[in-house]
Amino acid sequence: MFKQRAQTAGVQLILIAYSLLAVGPILLVVMNSFKARSAIFGSPLSPPTADTFSLIGYMKVFHASLIVTYFANSLIVTLVSMGLVLLFGAMAAWALTEYKFRGSTALALFLSIGIMVPIRLGSVAILKMMKAAGLNDTLTALILVYVAQGLPMSIFILSEFVQQIPKDLRDAARCDGVPETRIFFEVIAPLLRPAIATVAVFTIVPIWNDLWFPLILTSSDTTHTITLGVQQFLGQYITDWNSVLAALSMAILPVVAIYVVFSRQLIAGLTAGAVK
Amino acid sequence: MANLRIDRLNKSYGPAQVLIDINLAIDNGEFVVLVGPSGCGKSTLLRMIAGLDGATSGDIYIADKLVNALAPAERRIAMVFQSYALYPHMDVRKNMTFGLKFTGVAPAERERRVAEAARMLRLEQLLGRYPRDLSGGQRQRVAIGRAIVREPDVFLFDEPLSNLDAALRVSTRVEIARLHRLLGATMVYVTHDQTEAMTLADRIVVMSQGRIEQVGKALDLYYAPANLFVAGFIGSPAMNFFEGAVETASGGIARVVGAGFEPLDLPIAAVDRGAKLTIGVRPEHLRIAGQGLFATSGVVELVERLGESSFAHVRRTDDKMLVVEVRGRETPGVTETVAFRAPLQDIHVFDASGRRIEAKGGD
Amino acid sequence: MAEPMSQVVASMPRGRFVALMTLFLGPAVVVYTLFSIWPLIATMGLSTYTTDSSGAYRFVGLVNFVTLLTDSVWSKPFWNAAWNNLIFFCVHMLVQNPIGIALAGLLSLPGLKLRAFYRTVIFLPTMLSVVIVGFAWNLILSPLWGVAEGALKAVGLGSWFAPWLGLPSTALVTLALISVWQFVGIPLMLIYASLLNIPDELIDAARVDGLGHFRIFLHIKLPLVLPTIGLVSILTFVGNFNAFDLIYSVKGALAGPNFASDILGTFFYRTFFGNQLQLGNPTMGAAVATVMFFIILVGVCLYLFIVQRRMRRYAF
Repeated sequence: MFKQRAQTAGVQLILIAYSLLAVGPILLVVMNSFKARSAIFGSPLSPPTADTFSLIGYMKVFHASLIVTYFANSLIVTLVSMGLVLLFGAMAAWALTEYKFRGSTALALFLSIGIMVPIRLGSVAILKMMKAAGLNDTLTALILVYVAQGLPMSIFILSEFVQQIPKDLRDAARCDGVPETRIFFEVIAPLLRPAIATVAVFTIVPIWNDLWFPLILTSSDTTHTITLGVQQFLGQYITDWNSVLAALSMAILPVVAIYVVFSRQLIAGLTAGAVK
Repeated sequence: MANLRIDRLNKSYGPAQVLIDINLAIDNGEFVVLVGPSGCGKSTLLRMIAGLDGATSGDIYIADKLVNALAPAERRIAMVFQSYALYPHMDVRKNMTFGLKFTGVAPAERERRVAEAARMLRLEQLLGRYPRDLSGGQRQRVAIGRAIVREPDVFLFDEPLSNLDAALRVSTRVEIARLHRLLGATMVYVTHDQTEAMTLADRIVVMSQGRIEQVGKALDLYYAPANLFVAGFIGSPAMNFFEGAVETASGGIARVVGAGFEPLDLPIAAVDRGAKLTIGVRPEHLRIAGQGLFATSGVVELVERLGESSFAHVRRTDDKMLVVEVRGRETPGVTETVAFRAPLQDIHVFDASGRRIEAKGGD
Repeated sequence: MAEPMSQVVASMPRGRFVALMTLFLGPAVVVYTLFSIWPLIATMGLSTYTTDSSGAYRFVGLVNFVTLLTDSVWSKPFWNAAWNNLIFFCVHMLVQNPIGIALAGLLSLPGLKLRAFYRTVIFLPTMLSVVIVGFAWNLILSPLWGVAEGALKAVGLGSWFAPWLGLPSTALVTLALISVWQFVGIPLMLIYASLLNIPDELIDAARVDGLGHFRIFLHIKLPLVLPTIGLVSILTFVGNFNAFDLIYSVKGALAGPNFASDILGTFFYRTFFGNQLQLGNPTMGAAVATVMFFIILVGVCLYLFIVQRRMRRYAF
């Protein structure tokens, strides 16, 4: 019995220690972003008090950078990409699973190559293409690239979900004479809602946090995403600790907030996808 | 002596009590079956015996030793699981010997035990195969083999036949019975299927909602169920029940009246006027227009013909359904009104709380 | 098992069927091919050309590759970057995977209190942008702020402290550890999901067989989770090529100090875009990308061959 208790205590200790390691740096940054400069250096580990509380960093960030624009850009790019990935991916997953025709297996294999191969390697050609199409420095370019990047994995995941849908539903609709397109959009698609969480985890996070493509494909300040915007801001104001910490915190907090609220679905989505 | 004793065992998960005051004594070499509907606590009880879960209060003795604080491996038990629980990454031989390694059994001895068990269960050809290459029945035999090599004091079976198809279930059932005769070991077996219970057990423990309803030999439970639950659980199709009340009671005879049957004079003592009773008669004990104290009738709605015996589903005068077993070729027709009778010895009487009341005397 | 085509579908006129497939598959295939596959092929094609200041392209075959691998102006930084990539990968395999496995093992223990809390918290860093992570750690490890130094002093290891990110000898490993810190959540989740997949009855049987928790982990859980560990390894391998983001945000395109933290990703970026030291060279950049592609291809093929074959063993 005692051995049991000691074991449990030991396990909890390890987990708490690692949790501190995981969360500590983030807490540190956020905490200090609300302090005056002297307090940041003087007592970095203590939370802001009434004396040391200061929003100077945040004000600087708002004035000196287009942080709201960056945020909006990221939001647009991520949501539109997610939407298109889901739509195109679901249609493709349905077609490949349901209608077996000559070459459908080959096509499925072709589409799954993208899971393993990083799309970045083709950047040279992508940039040329975007320039030629006049899409350089637009959010559209980012969206197209991210959709291409997200499709293989999402088709893979959605195919698994499509296979779970009972065939009877499709058969009943066919007996009723419903045309194939309507079967997909009105019978199948609504049943894929649980898949959204899984696809979202694998798609949204890499897009939101991506640095490479905004760096390569966007040049003007107004098209930057938040990741790139923050990175450049940091580079510029590197000695201005208040602003730097504030910028970091502003980039961290929305993600953390969404994560905490949706953590259960996110993790369920990740484990569901992983099991496949 | 590989006996088993359970004293005042209780188990709660938070506010929910899943086992309530369990007392049971099992002799060396007995085959005891724990049977009951889902959620009655039989599997929980088995897991307590195994040591996989701890009890909230109460004591468990295996071979006269108090085992409450002992881990499963130290209790000298072996368990056969419903889904066989074979290690997928080990072959059959390794599956059977794996546990022995950790309880300090020498390699030579391990080999001997495996060979012996393989012979008993006809597994010699399968020793090198992996679980995924075996059929359901073969896997189950390997799971049993794994239990045998441990040479335990008590064998525990957790619904081992549930995952097998009907035909395999019968043959494996026979296999287990044969094994019991061969090894003479103490076995505790959990199932929800009362046929398995009736055919395998030396004694049956009927459980419901965390309590033991009755313990006894199969035929004792069949002919003398201690309460309404056991009466309705044992026997298939289930016993027919009729609600009634005592109209008059004097001189050791109680006149019982109720909606579905003709007034009945039962030789039962110590009941008051107006007392509510339940009368039970099994489908196989009702005869069409035969002799008997108990009389009921109704309109035949459906006859299920199974060959030598058929089951007539009859709508009684109290609008409930009656099931009667009819033997032979002549079966009542649908929409016919038929009368049935049963003798006193086949009538079961239960009081308002569901407990059995003895009806003495012959017919 | 191939399902027979439904009568409705089989009796559809061919023209309609083609139109239907185009509708369903068209968008995905077009976008994917155009922006994922075609650029890759075009890049490989481009790597066989060379260009000069006038912008004209001239076919040169495999000359770029020869230059890349042997000409010391190019090959020294290339092999340096490749070697660094290998170290980066090794640190991940040696640190990230064991930690992920251990944490997954702890988190999957039956009856663990606060399980959901730990899971959420430990996975948090993976959600953050690499830029944030890189910069935050840069600050924490910075000798100017003194937080890391202070923390080490508090446990009596003050003498261990050094400006690790600034020293050529330790910069790469430090960055690798930061990356591990961030991404341990992924192997953790995948292995955790795999562990959950193991039927409870199997663990019960092992307990009845006499195995304690640690032995159960070693002999039962770990072998059954091996396929997932293989998957994690290949994902780490491929993912490391994207570590550009981290190095770039902490060290910039030059991946200092003195190219000590240069990996193939940053080398590719510099070659292609140029920086203050050199002009951008798209054809050489394409060559670097092609080489990276083949390295990844070899890795993936090895994985598919070795791990996938063994994976069939462990069906339940």
